[in-house]
Amino acid sequence: MKLEQSTKTQIIKNASLSLLLYILPIALMFGSFAITGERPWEKKQHQQKQQTTAKTKVSNTQDND
Amino acid sequence: MIDQIKQIIENLNGYGFSVLVLVLGVLEFSFGLYKKRWNKNEKWVDIACFTIPKLIVRPLVAYYSLLVLPAILPGFKNFFGWVPFFWGCAIIAVADDLTQYWYHRLHHQVPWLWRFHRTHHSASYMGMAMASRQNIIYTIFFSQTYLTAALVYLGLGIPALVVKGIKGTITTLAHSSIPWDKPFYKYKILHPLAWVLERTISTPATHHAHHAATTDDGVGYYKGNFGNMFFWWDIIFGTAHISRQYPKAYGISHYEGDQWYAQLAWPLFKSKVPGSELAADGPMVKDDVPLQPHQLYRPDKIQEPVAEQADTAFQLQPVKA
Repeated sequence: MKLEQSTKTQIIKNASLSLLLYILPIALMFGSFAITGERPWEKKQHQQKQQTTAKTKVSNTQDND
Repeated sequence: MIDQIKQIIENLNGYGFSVLVLVLGVLEFSFGLYKKRWNKNEKWVDIACFTIPKLIVRPLVAYYSLLVLPAILPGFKNFFGWVPFFWGCAIIAVADDLTQYWYHRLHHQVPWLWRFHRTHHSASYMGMAMASRQNIIYTIFFSQTYLTAALVYLGLGIPALVVKGIKGTITTLAHSSIPWDKPFYKYKILHPLAWVLERTISTPATHHAHHAATTDDGVGYYKGNFGNMFFWWDIIFGTAHISRQYPKAYGISHYEGDQWYAQLAWPLFKSKVPGSELAADGPMVKDDVPLQPHQLYRPDKIQEPVAEQADTAFQLQPVKA
């Protein structure tokens, strides 16, 4: 039993539309960032830098002991 | 507010969800909603499908999440941890549910995939007993599980937990034999709400139609209504059928009780029922057969003939030749 041609065409058409639907929430999120001016990824980078600096300070102190 | 929602969902994922399933199950049995259809073979199928896959799938997902993902995506752990909670939920909900929609739809529309999903449709009843009824191969390759696990690894763990709780509740209630959506169709004042509800999430009416034994009575529609949490995928892709009614019969019209092991692990084990789709020499997809009265979950009510009330007494006259 084979897949019907009309079903195959419908699946391909709908799957292409699905790609847009997968991207939609991501696009809307960045759209909202553009409107509000939020940049949450920068906050995270800043936090990571602070953590790295704190760790380095601790290890330097330990080295001096 | 968001923290409170998270707390509720965390509880739902913990004991809450199990309690919901248990309460619904008890209610279904108390109301006799299985209508003596849960015979020995069906019990074995439901219980085996509920327990055995968990012993395999959970370690497999743990292995994939803890060893495979760090190996193929090193340095990406929590890479998207900065994504705000609301958007994380939206991304996970679409990624998980749309993938499941496709996984489900393909198992209905691609003939060679049908037999991996057939077990879920062979039950002639709806309810908690059959909600986990799936072939083990279908469960192992549940594609959205691995996609969601990858998103959790990338930093969307808390949104994933919340979406899982909401999705579990919606799909459980859609499979339930308690038609909780009936009042929305009965009372005119609730019709606008019903219109939105039935287009947004899976309801008993739309999901029961997907489990119907026949598709040509204007109510049942196993050729569509593939949505799990969201029904809007069916609306968007034109696979939706909304009738606000419940089917007369559930299951597969030509089902004759394939053995539990064949339903659990076809093609590793084959059915002994001659001519079954799961038998060694069975067809890939079998055509529907007319439903027999014993297959009807909601038989037509036999209407008593209404006695005509004669207003006046007739005086019969012999007919003259």
